[in-house]
Amino acid sequence: MIEIGGLHKSFGAQRVLMGLNLSVSNGETFSILGKSGSGKSVMLKCIVGLMLPDAGDITVDSMRVDADDRKTLKQIRRMIGFLFQGGALYDSMTIRENLIFNLTRHHKVKHSEASEKAAHYLTLVGLPDFIDKMPSELSGGMRKRAALARALVIEPQILLYDEPTTGLDPITSAEIGELIREMHDRFKVTGIVVTHDILCAGIVSDRAGVLKDGLLKYTGALNELVQIEDKEIKGFFRKPI
Amino acid sequence: MKKFFIHVYDLTAFSLRFFKEAVLPPYEFGEFAGHLENFGSRSFPLVSVIGLLMGLILALQTKPTLARFGAESFLPAMVAISVVRELGPVITALVVAGRVSSGIGAEIGSMKVTEQVDALEVSSVDPYRFLVVPRVLAGIIALPLLTAYADFLGIIGAFLVMFVSGGMGWQLFITSTIRSLSIADVIPGIGKTFFFGYIIAIVGSYFGFKASGGTEGVGKAATSAVVFASFLILITDFVLVKLGILLFE
Repeated sequence: MIEIGGLHKSFGAQRVLMGLNLSVSNGETFSILGKSGSGKSVMLKCIVGLMLPDAGDITVDSMRVDADDRKTLKQIRRMIGFLFQGGALYDSMTIRENLIFNLTRHHKVKHSEASEKAAHYLTLVGLPDFIDKMPSELSGGMRKRAALARALVIEPQILLYDEPTTGLDPITSAEIGELIREMHDRFKVTGIVVTHDILCAGIVSDRAGVLKDGLLKYTGALNELVQIEDKEIKGFFRKPI
Repeated sequence: MKKFFIHVYDLTAFSLRFFKEAVLPPYEFGEFAGHLENFGSRSFPLVSVIGLLMGLILALQTKPTLARFGAESFLPAMVAISVVRELGPVITALVVAGRVSSGIGAEIGSMKVTEQVDALEVSSVDPYRFLVVPRVLAGIIALPLLTAYADFLGIIGAFLVMFVSGGMGWQLFITSTIRSLSIADVIPGIGKTFFFGYIIAIVGSYFGFKASGGTEGVGKAATSAVVFASFLILITDFVLVKLGILLFE
C-alpha cells in the first residue's frame, strides 16, 4: 500500500533522512519510534507531498508521490487522513465546519450529508455534544479526538498520525491509542503512527520500527524490538517508575 | 541586508502570484465577504477618528500662518487639496496597515505554526487561493472607500475649526472647497489607495506564510508586516505622486 525507497531529506547541512526504506501493507498499522528531531514527521509530510524529498521514491497504492503531478497528488491526498501533532483544527471554524470542510470541497459531498457524517464520526470519537463548539472551547484530549474525527470523516484508506498523544496525560494517551486501534479494526484502514510514546505504539501497532541516523532500523513486532541490545532503543522501553 | 533583499525577491514573487490565482476558480465569496467586513467595517471607527483629527489639526496649524498674510479664505482650498491628494490616502493607509496588516500576519502566521496551513494543503485546498486572494481583494476594495470617507471627515474637521473660530460659514466653506478641487486631485488621490490596499493585504499574508517557530514567530510576522507595509506604502506613494504629476500636470 505504501512503499518508500531510498528517501533522503536534508535541511541545509543537517541530514535528516538518509536513504530510508519502508513498506506498509494493506490494513497494517506501522508505528515509527524515534527521538525528537529524528525525521519522523518529515517522513510523514513527504508521503502527503507537504515536503519534497531530496531523493527517493514514495508510492501510495502504486501511485508515485510527485509534487509536480498535481492530479495524482490530489488523488493520493483523497485517500489519506492526516492527524497533525497539535490537531491543526481550523480555529476560525466550529468543529462541525472543520469536519465538513474537506468533505464538501475535496470529496464533493452535499452539505446536508456532510453534516450528518460529521455528527456520526463525532459520536464515534465520543464528542457528540461538542459539534457546534469552537476548537478553543475544547481540552487538549478533546481536540485530538475532534481532529481524529476530521481525519476519519473522509473515510480514508490510509491514516497518518503525527504524534497523536503528545501533550496528553497517560490516561488520555491510552484512550486515544485505544480509539485509534478501534477505528483501524472497524474500518480496516492502513496506518502509519509516528510517536515516541511507547504506550501508544503498543496499543495501536501491528509492527514498529525505530528511526535512527536517518534510517529505519530494527523493524518488527514491538515485543521483538524490546529484545534488541541498543542503548537508544532500550531507552524507549524503560519504565518511567 | 542580504535578508532584506531575499524578502524583497520572495515578496515580489508572492505578490505577482496573486494576479494568476485571483482569476482561477474556485472563487471564495464567503471568505471575501468576511474579510471585507474585517478590512472595511471594523476599520470604520478608527478611520473616523483619524480622518476628523487630520482635518482639525491641519486647519489649526495652518490658520494662524494664513491669517498673518490675510489669506484665511484660502484655508478650505488648502485643506481640501492636502487631504484629498496626499494626507487622506497616506494616513488612512498607514493606520489601516497598523490594524489590518499586523492582524493578517498574526492570523496566517498562527495558522502556519499550528499546521492549519498544512491541513488545508492536505485537503487539496490551495492555501494561497483560500487565505490570500480574498484578503487582497477585500483590501483593494475597502481601502479606497475608507479613504474617501476619511477625506470627507478631514474636510468636516477643517470646517469645524473655521466655524468655531467664527471665520467662515458652511456655504462659503463648501463652495471654496469644491471650487478648489479638480478631477486631477481626486483621481490620483483615490487611485493610489487601490495599490495601498493591495500592499497592506499582500505584505501581511506574505509575512504570515513566512512565520515559523511558535508564538515568537507569529509576533515577528505581525511586526514585520506593519513595518514592511508602511515602508512600501510610502515608497509607492512617492512613485505614484511622480507619475501623477507627469500624467495630470
